[in-house]
Amino acid sequence: MDSLQGILHGLSVAMQPSHLLYTLIGTFIGTMISHLPGIGPSAGIALLIPVTFGMDPATALMMLAGIYYGCMYGGAVTAILLNTPGDAAAVMTVLDGYPLARKGRAASTLAIAAVSSFIAGTMGVTALAFVAVPLAAIALHFGPTEYFGLIFFALSTVSALTGDSLAKGLLATFLGLLLATIGIDLQSGVPRFTMGFVELQDRVNFLVVVVGLFAIAEVSRMVEGTLEGTLHTVKVQGKLWFTREEWRRARPAIFRGSAVGFFCGAAPGLGGTIAAMLSYILEKKVSKHPEQFGHGAIEGVAAPEAATNADTCGAFVHLLALGVPGSGATAVIMGAFIMYGIQPGPMLFNTHPDLVWGLIASMYIGNAMLLVLNLPLVGVLARILYVPPGILLCIILGIASAGVYSFNYDSFDLFMALGFGVLGYAFRKLDIPKAPLLFGLILGHTLEQSFRQAMTISNGDVTVFLRSPIAAGLLLCAAVSIIMSAWAKRKPREALGLAKEQSAEG
Amino acid sequence: MKAAMPDVVLAICVIAGALVYLYADASLPLMRIGDPLGPKAFPALVGCGLLISALLLLYEAWQKHRTATPTSHRRIDLRQIGILCAMVVWTAIYYSAFEPVGYIISTLVFLFGLLSFFHRGHLRTNLAVAVGFTACVDLLFSQGLGVPLPTGLLPI
Repeated sequence: MDSLQGILHGLSVAMQPSHLLYTLIGTFIGTMISHLPGIGPSAGIALLIPVTFGMDPATALMMLAGIYYGCMYGGAVTAILLNTPGDAAAVMTVLDGYPLARKGRAASTLAIAAVSSFIAGTMGVTALAFVAVPLAAIALHFGPTEYFGLIFFALSTVSALTGDSLAKGLLATFLGLLLATIGIDLQSGVPRFTMGFVELQDRVNFLVVVVGLFAIAEVSRMVEGTLEGTLHTVKVQGKLWFTREEWRRARPAIFRGSAVGFFCGAAPGLGGTIAAMLSYILEKKVSKHPEQFGHGAIEGVAAPEAATNADTCGAFVHLLALGVPGSGATAVIMGAFIMYGIQPGPMLFNTHPDLVWGLIASMYIGNAMLLVLNLPLVGVLARILYVPPGILLCIILGIASAGVYSFNYDSFDLFMALGFGVLGYAFRKLDIPKAPLLFGLILGHTLEQSFRQAMTISNGDVTVFLRSPIAAGLLLCAAVSIIMSAWAKRKPREALGLAKEQSAEG
Repeated sequence: MKAAMPDVVLAICVIAGALVYLYADASLPLMRIGDPLGPKAFPALVGCGLLISALLLLYEAWQKHRTATPTSHRRIDLRQIGILCAMVVWTAIYYSAFEPVGYIISTLVFLFGLLSFFHRGHLRTNLAVAVGFTACVDLLFSQGLGVPLPTGLLPI
């Protein structure tokens, strides 16, 4: 099935009433979650996975994907009205969105953000449909050696590019891999690192880790916000549409942002935050009025919003075509795939065409739904921002607890989630990125199996990874990404040192 | 050195943890049934990776120490940390009571306790939120999703 046929077939699947309903529910919930400062798409999806028990996988995945892009869509609302990004990727939208809102342009800024997200989302889904199929066809020829190279490359880029410190990115990845080694080894039957807990023999439950690390840990951020009283909201005022001049300025930024976003999403590990940053920097460079950036430039809202939404589609390229997540949220969705007994990867297009094409097509429909939800209803949806954070944090904790328990009916999971919540708090305080840990946990098992299978095939000869041109190329790319990251992260320090010298001279 | 101190402490903790992990790995039985590596090799690589990242972190901390400015120190709010610790303890008590006491009673008490602190002075609202949320989630899971939550002391 080629891409165009696939999209048409997918539309017929996604247009079924139950799929339409759950896509709508997903996008609505995603938008609502994005309005809760600190609760990002990973936590949102993880919290809602237990609700999908009993659903058919296609319906459940359409809903979970809807939550993801709904979250990315709505992240701008808190950024613009609350000066707090709804998710990490909306961090650049704050820079110009909030100043615009303070100038009384909140409604038109929200409208630009919604239209940018819609255009970028639609372009991104189209690119996803046309890129994923040839990529999956190539990946069909991958053996364990190539898969090891691919996962190693994904892990190295996510370690190198997430956060400000290479060491902390690597640390988080290895911690994720460590967690992945806990449980009974499937090849030898030996229980590893279970510390005598029977509950750990079946490996560490990824849902428990995600809810603890993202949802419970993020509650602590809300607690801090409540205690410090730092959450101040700007009301939505004025006509919910933009002027012709604003559209003229935003239009090219949307297209550039979409392209940057999709490429960042398609490169494993870069993620929405980097996509937003790169698109913002690009707009500032090409703008005739760079001095307006940071004080309320509409391009500074349009470009990062377009980039984060196109990035969402790019992140699905790996997940669907290679079985490797492209972002933290797609790592959670990959966990959901596995939970439903479906292995994402190149075979998915042949074994589950209804599911994969239905999922892709549901993104077109979901994007249109989001535009409708976010334009006329933004004032109504934004009312969630006025719910006291003291109530919200209690509700989030309540949902997280019920969700975690319902997964295995075991209170051991609740304590594990609490432990990971404390770990997530420590990660935030120590500036350790969380996404690499999730990648390590999700991909660790496949990485180990690929490594051992490759070594078995080669009778323990390590050079097997260098004899395969694809594996060798991927390992080389991994090394380059680590070295480049180490080099790039030296620069801020050099710049800081230079600034110090200049100030001393001054 | 103060700015880099948390990273140094973190690196030391990681080194200690990695050594314990490598020791536990070395204690695993050696079984190579059709597998030249057995179950110990991959964890050994992970342990070495943790040690390398800890050493890299120490190097970064040393670099940070060289370029640190006096304004880069963080203020530690002991009251905030105390509240967060109390919240963790309160949540752990809730989780301990989850199965023996039951979802409805334990969640009601847990939420009302939290709301009384974080949303002070709104007794009726807090009670309504605690009761409404608990009832809605219980209905959603037990009736809507067919996932029964523990009944505990309540005979239902």
